[in-house]
Amino acid sequence: MFDEKDLILEAKHVTRRFPAAKGKVLVANNDINLKFYKGKTLGLVGESGCGKSTFMRFLVSLDKPSEGEILYKGQDITKLKGEKLRQHRQNIQMVFQDPAQSFNPKMKIRDVICEPLLNFKRITPAQKKETATKLLEMVELPGEMQDRFMHNMSGGQRQRVAIARALALEPEMIVMDEATSALDVSVQKTIIELITKLQREKNITIGFICHDIGLIQSFAHQVAVMYLGNIVEVLPGEAIGTEAKHPYTKALLASVFDIKMDFTKKIESIESEIPSPLDAPPGCPFCDRCDQCMEICKKERPLLKEIAPDHEVACHLFSGKDGE
Amino acid sequence: MAMLEVKNITISYQNRPTVMDFSMSLEKGQICSLVGESGSGKTTVIRAIFGLLAGGGKVTEGEILFEGESLLAYNKEQWRRLRGSDISMIFQDSGAMMNPTRRVGGAYTEYIRTHEKNISKKDAAKKGIEMLERMRLPSGDNVMRSYPFQLSGGMRQRVGIAMGMTYQPKLLLADEPTSALDVTTQAQIVRQMMELRENYGTSIIVVTHNLGVAAYMSDHIIVMRNGKIEDQGDRDYMLYHSENEYTHKLLEAVPSIGGKRYV
Repeated sequence: MFDEKDLILEAKHVTRRFPAAKGKVLVANNDINLKFYKGKTLGLVGESGCGKSTFMRFLVSLDKPSEGEILYKGQDITKLKGEKLRQHRQNIQMVFQDPAQSFNPKMKIRDVICEPLLNFKRITPAQKKETATKLLEMVELPGEMQDRFMHNMSGGQRQRVAIARALALEPEMIVMDEATSALDVSVQKTIIELITKLQREKNITIGFICHDIGLIQSFAHQVAVMYLGNIVEVLPGEAIGTEAKHPYTKALLASVFDIKMDFTKKIESIESEIPSPLDAPPGCPFCDRCDQCMEICKKERPLLKEIAPDHEVACHLFSGKDGE
Repeated sequence: MAMLEVKNITISYQNRPTVMDFSMSLEKGQICSLVGESGSGKTTVIRAIFGLLAGGGKVTEGEILFEGESLLAYNKEQWRRLRGSDISMIFQDSGAMMNPTRRVGGAYTEYIRTHEKNISKKDAAKKGIEMLERMRLPSGDNVMRSYPFQLSGGMRQRVGIAMGMTYQPKLLLADEPTSALDVTTQAQIVRQMMELRENYGTSIIVVTHNLGVAAYMSDHIIVMRNGKIEDQGDRDYMLYHSENEYTHKLLEAVPSIGGKRYV
């Protein structure tokens, strides 16, 4: 399904450490390898604090990894500086969780949408009105809305504006950080429909952060499950319901409230809280919450292994092809 | 007689009716969900039941009866006695409800001592810790010593539930109690709220925009739209028999594993 020549961005051995109090080190991302393909969506799922956003911030050059490289079309973007970096930013754009807080409340929608285009001198101020109309219509909003302010719009409309702004520069890739988490389920659905429609039309690559595995499996081509800074499973989106192997992925699946679920059964969920990344266990990061934990899990950290095409798992239960 | 009876109420903010002709009734130990999109008036309804309408909101028509007594005729002192002991509320973000510059323990002991005049500070703290541990918060004394921002979202929500349940209220009102949480934590909190009913016989009204959560939790579901009741019934009716278009739309929006894919 994924063709190597469509590879657009690749993260190689990305590790990010933050210094913490008392000389401790917080490892937010531990040796992450992910590949983004042209026109495909990669969904990154995990609980709060597992390092999803930290990773995605590297892709939009808002932060730099401590180790490892991020190759955009073969070029390491973590090394870019100055004007080169500024020009590169046109290629990857971002949509944040709460557009009400990520935009200047005193700017009109028109100015919000056209600002990136003006920054790169792609349009002149005289073309603003026309461009804004076009972009708003692309996200299925009436063009007259450009005279409004952010606070005069509903959550779903704001998120559409955020998408319009991110797509204004016609980037190759957009990163969406929990772009639908603050919305009602019904609005969430319309936003997902819009995103997938635009993706088909413009062949954009999407990196989508989400904590709802039920949502992500409905539109991602590839899903990476993250736990305490480690990728524990990577698999195709349509296979999640049937093929998921890692105990953590299964736990995430079990905690989804599905209208097709068996209502007589108690909802299963891992009982404990996610441990602090400051004292992550030395072995498998999930070992103290896993009900299939073995001796080896406490000592040795499992590595990602391919168990089927496009399907990788980091778990001692599945030793992979060569382990048997 | 039903424990709570809301009869044809109209609620207005500055003379603009926001909720119109809303009725519901709730028996002891029942869980009822109010479902709808933002702005449909769900929160306004439960705030009216709790006497906490914001921004000059008023119940202009109808009646709210709690155990046969009309709540709308209550004066301030009566409300104060009712809140926290017979009816209590859990908010969307219990962290925002607490004073950020005080430790959880300070706020909680004050809460307990407001309800029980003769309890000593030490006993109040003990009671608080006991309650927190009953709500599955490990090391309650540790939580009492923390500031709200030091706790995770799920822990804060548990503190909110512990506070609300201190006096084993007959009715618990929950305003989007899980909307700000991760799916895993959401499942934990939902299960815990169901246990409240098993252990204490508490009746619960939950406001949520997720029909999946509502269907799992409740005996009765009310779908609201633009301040009116659009559809209502039990889970079976809602999921399989309702012919209401809007209900269908809400059902379709719940992401389902192995369900519709957009790509």
